[in-house]
Amino acid sequence: MSAVIETRGLWVERGGRAVLRGLDLVLRRGEGLALVGPNAAGKSTLVRTLAGLLPAARGEVLLEGRPLAAWPRSGVATRVALVAAEDEAPLRLAVEDRVALGRYPHRGPLAPFTDDDRSAVRRALRQTEIEHLARRSLGTLSAGERQLALLARGLAQDPAVLLLDEPAAHLDVRHQLHLFRVLDDVRQRGVAVLAVIHDLPRAAAWAPRMALLDEGRIAAEGSPSEVLESAAAARAFGVAIRGVAVGDGPERLWRFEERA
Amino acid sequence: MSERDRRRLVFATLAVALPLALLAALSLGSVPLAAGGVLRSAFARLGLGGPSPLPEMGEVILWSVRFPRVLIAALVGGGLAVVGASLQSLFRNPLADAGLLGVGPGAALGAVLAVNLGWAHERFLAMPLAACAGALLALLLIYAIAHAGGRPTLSGLLLTGLAVSALAAAGTSVLLVATEEFRVRTVLFWLAGGLEGRGYEHLALAAAFVLPGALGLLLLARPLDVLSLGEEEAAALSLPVHGVRILVFGLCALVAGPVTAVAGAVPFVGLIAPHALRALVGPLSRRLLPASFLAGAVLVVVADIAARSFGEYVELPLGSVTAFVGAPYFLLALRGQEGRG
Repeated sequence: MSAVIETRGLWVERGGRAVLRGLDLVLRRGEGLALVGPNAAGKSTLVRTLAGLLPAARGEVLLEGRPLAAWPRSGVATRVALVAAEDEAPLRLAVEDRVALGRYPHRGPLAPFTDDDRSAVRRALRQTEIEHLARRSLGTLSAGERQLALLARGLAQDPAVLLLDEPAAHLDVRHQLHLFRVLDDVRQRGVAVLAVIHDLPRAAAWAPRMALLDEGRIAAEGSPSEVLESAAAARAFGVAIRGVAVGDGPERLWRFEERA
Repeated sequence: MSERDRRRLVFATLAVALPLALLAALSLGSVPLAAGGVLRSAFARLGLGGPSPLPEMGEVILWSVRFPRVLIAALVGGGLAVVGASLQSLFRNPLADAGLLGVGPGAALGAVLAVNLGWAHERFLAMPLAACAGALLALLLIYAIAHAGGRPTLSGLLLTGLAVSALAAAGTSVLLVATEEFRVRTVLFWLAGGLEGRGYEHLALAAAFVLPGALGLLLLARPLDVLSLGEEEAAALSLPVHGVRILVFGLCALVAGPVTAVAGAVPFVGLIAPHALRALVGPLSRRLLPASFLAGAVLVVVADIAARSFGEYVELPLGSVTAFVGAPYFLLALRGQEGRG
């Protein structure tokens, strides 16, 4: 399968400091990738660069084979959706209206919404299972419901690539499971999903594939077991990581210990 | 009552309240005119119905004095409210207001500069245009300072507005001292604010700037909504964040400058109208901006009635009337805001 989005020798600087240093990563249609790494490894920077919000200092990002910089803004935003950890929308905004703003890249400032837009909004609300909240204002929702509304905005963009930065950071376990189940549904429809996830066992439980980012480069890549049990992971996080098999399946219980 | 019914009720109420307020403002004053007489005189002017029942003196008062003044009040209120609503979305702060952000003092500085340099005597448009420039400069300055360290907090924004206001006021004082004496009177009359003695030329001026400016902001309704989601999300949705902000500032200055040039400082209108309506019609700009225009117009038309009705021989400054109502409202809203964190 061909890559939807990929980086080649990507260098990105923030505040005069190189945060990403020659990073190569490929994301294919319908693929799910958990991006893990220690604090300040450059995870958020990578996600924002893939969304076209930060420029590459060297190397390039290819979206559907074409350099990101060569795309018009709306061309990127109709293919790549970014869902952040925090929702900063006005509290009085209704869920449905918030989700509908995800259609901005398709319609621009003036064109009226069409049936396409309305059905995309309905589909996004249905996929995230928050149709019953459509007319509620954001301020009346729980943190988990707000995060789902934010995800629904991303889905309303009708993207080929969905980028999430710590999507489950503030969620209780039930909402976490719900959110990752929605991400699996989305993947099955052919959307490539890349999620930055801090919680390593959670990331391993969800992701078919994992990439470890350390000091601005991909230090390990593969199945969650391969990545977490690698020497690179122990070095990056500065801890000993051990997977304990549960039954006969591939599932692992993960143990983390401080190294002396 | 459903959300949609409530919105309809709000718009219907405003659509009825504005003509009623205008009619009341045309009738009331030191020479009261019967509302029925005012209406029939208006119909007579339009060539409908019989001749006007008003005496000649009443006709003069109604059409030469009150009519332009009342319409100016509506434009001033509507314009300031739309500017307030837009700035609230832009700064993502429900308590932003042109007055609190130093736009008024900035406009005043520009206008006084125009008088000081003698431009205002040569060209009628010089003063309002200079006021536009002053307002825009104040907005850009606040934007640059407040956004220098990321998203500004409410207190950061208000304090920056305070500093810019003080700076502009200081500049105005210095200019006043340096202005020739025969021009100082013009400036002081104007700085006091209010709508006394404003006629058709002021009405034309207000209409020529406020209506296109407000319409321009309404056309930016969707970008304003996207902007209210935060800078990063707006940029990720392909909004040219910086460009839209500058455009909104330009349109706000286009409205607020001439409004200040015509009516002086009319504080808090731009805060109260959108702040109160946000709870009733929701935060989407395509509803909030038109509703704010109507409510702001009603507010200033009524405030002007109060300013004129205070005593037989003296008028209250319009700005102090809106401040008497607006300042307590602001303080209450501020407490509510802080309570929410």
